[in-house]
Amino acid sequence: MTAVDTARVGGHRSPARRTPPRPPRWRRIGEQALNGAFTLPALIIYVGLMVIPVGYAVYYSFTEYNGIPSQSPEWVGLDNYTRIFADPASEMHSSLLVTAAIAIIGSLVVNAVALALALLLQKKSRFNTVGRVVMFYPHVLSALIVGFLWQALLGPHGAINGLIEASVGSTIPFLSDPNVALWTLIGVIIWAQFGVQLVLYIAGLQTVSAELQEAARIDGATRVQVFRHVTWPALAPTFTIALVTSLLSLLKAYDVVLGLTNGGPGDATQTWAYEILAVSFANNRVGLACAQAVLLIVVAAILSFSIMALRRRADAGAEAIS
Amino acid sequence: MSSHSHRRYGWIALTAAAAITLTACGSDGGSDEPPSTDGEVGGEIRMLVNITDNLTQEKWDELVAPFEEETGVDVVIEGPTGQSVAESFPALLAAGTAPDVIQSIFPTADTAPEVLDLTDFDWANETPMVDTYSTDGMINVVGVGTQAQSVLYYNKDLFAEAGIDETPKTWDEFDAALAALADSGVQTPIGFASDWATGVQAQQIWHPQQNVTTPSWQAAVASGESDLGEQFLPLFEHIASWVDDGYTVPDDIATDSGTQEAKFIDGDVGIYPMGSWFATTLASSPPEFEVGVFSPPLDDESAYPGPMGATLASPYMIWNGTENASSAAALVEYLVSDEDAIVAQAQMDDFSREGLDTSTNEYSGLVQELMNSAPELVVPGNQTVGDLALPVAGFNPKFTELVQQLWLGSSADDIASNLSSWYEAEKSE
Repeated sequence: MTAVDTARVGGHRSPARRTPPRPPRWRRIGEQALNGAFTLPALIIYVGLMVIPVGYAVYYSFTEYNGIPSQSPEWVGLDNYTRIFADPASEMHSSLLVTAAIAIIGSLVVNAVALALALLLQKKSRFNTVGRVVMFYPHVLSALIVGFLWQALLGPHGAINGLIEASVGSTIPFLSDPNVALWTLIGVIIWAQFGVQLVLYIAGLQTVSAELQEAARIDGATRVQVFRHVTWPALAPTFTIALVTSLLSLLKAYDVVLGLTNGGPGDATQTWAYEILAVSFANNRVGLACAQAVLLIVVAAILSFSIMALRRRADAGAEAIS
Repeated sequence: MSSHSHRRYGWIALTAAAAITLTACGSDGGSDEPPSTDGEVGGEIRMLVNITDNLTQEKWDELVAPFEEETGVDVVIEGPTGQSVAESFPALLAAGTAPDVIQSIFPTADTAPEVLDLTDFDWANETPMVDTYSTDGMINVVGVGTQAQSVLYYNKDLFAEAGIDETPKTWDEFDAALAALADSGVQTPIGFASDWATGVQAQQIWHPQQNVTTPSWQAAVASGESDLGEQFLPLFEHIASWVDDGYTVPDDIATDSGTQEAKFIDGDVGIYPMGSWFATTLASSPPEFEVGVFSPPLDDESAYPGPMGATLASPYMIWNGTENASSAAALVEYLVSDEDAIVAQAQMDDFSREGLDTSTNEYSGLVQELMNSAPELVVPGNQTVGDLALPVAGFNPKFTELVQQLWLGSSADDIASNLSSWYEAEKSE
């Protein structure tokens, strides 16, 4: 019987249910003011760095504007969005496909590789510590440098093709064939990206109960069964975060593209972010570029919330079963 | 939704609305009055310049040193903050931190109102190609000389080994020369390069024929008398046939211009289309073989050589928001008028200047002779000011993107059609 039940039976109000006396009004106002004062710096930074720039972008997306302060934006309504959807010069829709390929394939492979390596490197040892540093190292490099580095290695006259030609007498069109160039780009992005996901998974694995894993093993579970029924469920929140962050990062792929292929050959590796930064902004089409950026934000938000909603639904289903 | 949430979202919406309102009201251009150039020369001025293998920071500093010594002006040389000066200048304008002097680019429809009118300066009226680059009689950009675009550098040894006695004058002869080079085992009969170079090289080859077929073709396209895609269709057909015959391969358009130039210098390339500035590269790394130059071919041999594609060398503009207009104007006057400064710039990035010997090496001498033999100088399609400007932005990058697809299997007709579609879409903006 709970305390509440006891109170009801006893016919009098339990001390546990007695509401504490309200503090005086001046004290409540003071506390609220103090809370507000502590929140204000973060709020100012958030508004200054997030709300205002996004507000600008949304506003400019409805204008024709070249970004030069002395020339005023001209309100054009939905013209920029209409142009994006109509794509009269057939230049934007192909970049959507490229971006989708990079984001979907890239984020899945990045997470698979990072998780596999995290499982290998999770135990503490001197070798694993060195391994973690080496695996994280590509992420320390600027994405632009990564692009130029791999261009030098994979170009038609690069070091790798030089070795291949010396061995087999022919080269691989890593950057000159449109399909191969896209796969090369995805590969380089994965190489540069997985370090962060690796750190997330190693941190996530350290929260998995060693007792549970040990108990499963004692009960006769194989390594695969332990991973599937113990480790993976505990790692699910980490996987969700890692998937969302990698997906968002790959949706914005630009620097590596610039350094590695500059969008070529032709338009084979032009991403949506490349269209925004290297085409629309470069031609002073700030209004169109902002409309493209706003759509990117919307797509990123829909994907993020969808993945998190699916995660919550899966968690709710698991709790219901248990 | 709780009232608390309502308040929170309401607050955010209010902030966003305030930001938008601020934006709408905040883009005032300031004073319409141009800055005075009658003030005292002195202080500090910033000059945004192109930085390349030829145009190094050190060479720029050396170039302006005599001016600094004579006037006491401190000239701060700045490289592009973005990919190029063309990309950096509008971004710096937007940030309110534009440099006083801008080198290497021309005004566009967007930036023209932001640069100083130089029409009243006598020295500006005496600069090369000033009429070609003036807009409605107004001079807002001046340069030091003329840079030849339509130059085909060739390896004389490879030509001799292939049995080519004379440089080709017609397209048929050009195709035959490429076939002879390929048959004699030349690795790359004609050297195209990646990124910006593909489109520029294609246009360089086409300038003479295009201007023979349609003089002032940009004006014809702008007025609707001619179609942009049709203007370039024969060129696309030539390139497509060279790709089919293996004279140029897809690897070429993934090879940067520096590497392709090194291949030419190493003797692996038969013909290399490039502007006069390549003469400076050749002079700094002279090949072991003899280099020759010739003008691109024409349909009709009797019209050969055709008009030479040419651009204003090292264009300079002054930002009309500068607070030190007198010093900026003095610097630009020095750069485009002082003979020593002009020769120094010719040594940095080869060009020619009428009435002045700017041939600083044997290769620039060859280019100079080629220019002298041309019946006229014509401007390329990416010209952004003057009567011969196409009414679109971003012509060169788009042209490069489309022309590269010829190496990827697209047909000449498709590329021409896509170029026309792009032009119509951009023009209607």
